[in-house]
Amino acid sequence: MAILEEPIKEAMELKNYINGEWVESKSKQILDVVNPATQKLLARVPMSTKEEVLDAINAAKEAFPEWRRTTPLARVRCLFRLKELMEKNFEPLSRVQTMEHGKTIDESRGETRRGIEMVEVGTGIPSLMMGYNLEDIAAGIDEYVIYQPLGVFAHIAPFNFPFMVPLWYSPFALATGNTFIVKPSPRDPISQVKLAELFDEAGFPPGVYNLIHGGAEAAQILMEHPDIKGITFVGSTSIGREVYKKCGETCKRSAVQVSAKNFLLVMPDVDINATIAALLTSFFGNAGQRCLSGANLVMVGKDDGFYKKFLNTFVEATSKIKVGYGLDETIQMGPMQSVDGKERTKKYIEIGIKEKGKLILDGRKPTIVGNYPDTCFINPTVFENVTPDMTIGREEIFGPVASVMRAKDLDEAIQWINNSNYGNAASIFTSNGKAAREVQYRVECGNIGINIGIVAPMAFFPFSGMKDSFFGVLHGQGKDAIRFFTETKVVVQRWF
Amino acid sequence: MIINTCSGAMSFAKELENESAKFYQNLSERFTKDKDVFLSFAKENGEYITQIERAYYGVISDALEGCFAFNINPQEYGLKTDFAEKASYSEALGRALEIEEKIIKFYSDAAEQSKSLMADVPRAFKIVAKKRSNRQSTLKALLDKKD
Repeated sequence: MAILEEPIKEAMELKNYINGEWVESKSKQILDVVNPATQKLLARVPMSTKEEVLDAINAAKEAFPEWRRTTPLARVRCLFRLKELMEKNFEPLSRVQTMEHGKTIDESRGETRRGIEMVEVGTGIPSLMMGYNLEDIAAGIDEYVIYQPLGVFAHIAPFNFPFMVPLWYSPFALATGNTFIVKPSPRDPISQVKLAELFDEAGFPPGVYNLIHGGAEAAQILMEHPDIKGITFVGSTSIGREVYKKCGETCKRSAVQVSAKNFLLVMPDVDINATIAALLTSFFGNAGQRCLSGANLVMVGKDDGFYKKFLNTFVEATSKIKVGYGLDETIQMGPMQSVDGKERTKKYIEIGIKEKGKLILDGRKPTIVGNYPDTCFINPTVFENVTPDMTIGREEIFGPVASVMRAKDLDEAIQWINNSNYGNAASIFTSNGKAAREVQYRVECGNIGINIGIVAPMAFFPFSGMKDSFFGVLHGQGKDAIRFFTETKVVVQRWF
Repeated sequence: MIINTCSGAMSFAKELENESAKFYQNLSERFTKDKDVFLSFAKENGEYITQIERAYYGVISDALEGCFAFNINPQEYGLKTDFAEKASYSEALGRALEIEEKIIKFYSDAAEQSKSLMADVPRAFKIVAKKRSNRQSTLKALLDKKD
């Protein structure tokens, strides 16, 4: 099968989108954005100056009063137009993600679709944002609740879903009447530039939606600035903890979705083939670079025969995964997004070996479909005999590594999950309803899967998380997002 | 190369539809008596592509097994779309029936393999397979009429 056509033909000079204008940065600090599969230069991204970040904040602040007064119906009409433009540009948007991130084209299209679904849910704001009321709380007195927007919100985006993650927030923030600033990851900012072009075309008034390029310094300004009412962040726990503290110090709202170490439990009563496909997606989809990826595969029970049969099938299927450039439609796993990511994964593999994990599939010398430099490529890797106290069983690797463990029973497996610092997601594969309910009831994780490899909540449900995987109260997506982006005002009313 | 991904399966379906559409175009030029039937088949092929792509793009999710759903060997569904200069009408219709059989098998297999995806994708495959079965009946009727 042929390689799909690349939508980026030559290196782009990326600009900021401030107050409805594309503005060239004056920064001298410019980073290269490179296609991780081909190593070709895709763009140059500026690390915006402090003044430029402040310009974006001012633009968003000035746009707020008028946008807030715009009727919810008129606001969501902009979202409807945005949705149409996203559908129209579905394929180029998806291919850009593959080019700058490395994920396969199916994964990119999935990401685009999920992004569009956020916008679709945001268009329901005229109903979703309604308050509530009660007559006669005392004689002749009524009481009611109004949800009101707060002002300017900013999002600090991760590299692993360069298109979708900012959309967990922006449609909800904008539809509820707030203004918004997105700071994409400098590692893969092009998807957000393409999206901002569509925001512009959709007719959002100047300053309502803004994009500012930059790194930690730009993020710091956004977190400290008094005119920013809230921050949403997706990234690592170590940085997220700082973001959460900083937002606390400056009395901002924050939703901080961070690292994970997800356990997938396999009971001896599973449908093996269906489970294997779900596990492959979970452990190796997006090259393991997602906070919902499987990390620890826990085989439950003492049945050695089942264990061997299942593990052999899993390893055999894993060894056949086609690794290469994601624009080749036959490819099942792309490269890591960066050399750093690959090196970190290799470091963990070495630690696993030192800690006496049994390396049964070693991906460090990658086999690649097509003639591409192996700079960012690594093949799927499987360790056996891992225990939850080992480094590779405990820390987030964020790469395509599956650590296989054996628990004597479900109680032990649940205990292991609950002992982990993280609480993002956990899944059980079983045909036993009671076992599934036990996991749902007892496991301390925000997202629970029952025969699901990637527990990705839909746009109309919150993307949950617990313990060191989430800092905050309200989550992204769904009704949580609507509450996050609005203040609750209570009115008690009496007329004489 | 074996096709495992949704994207690959969609492109392969498109390839089969385009190849068979071309075959029916040729048939319509060569055997003008039933030109309208063959041209309508070629047109329907385009509609099938739309139907399948709509299902795929509408529900594709990175969270499901998009890269691991299929196990399709394209060689099993290779179409013979050429026919000799002197081929009779019966021979050409026989070739058409073979093509339809291959494509129906492809869609049936693809529907079975994509059961773990959202319902829309296997359903689209099944609908197209069913419609093509109707086409087989039409082709057989033409063959009977000819005899």
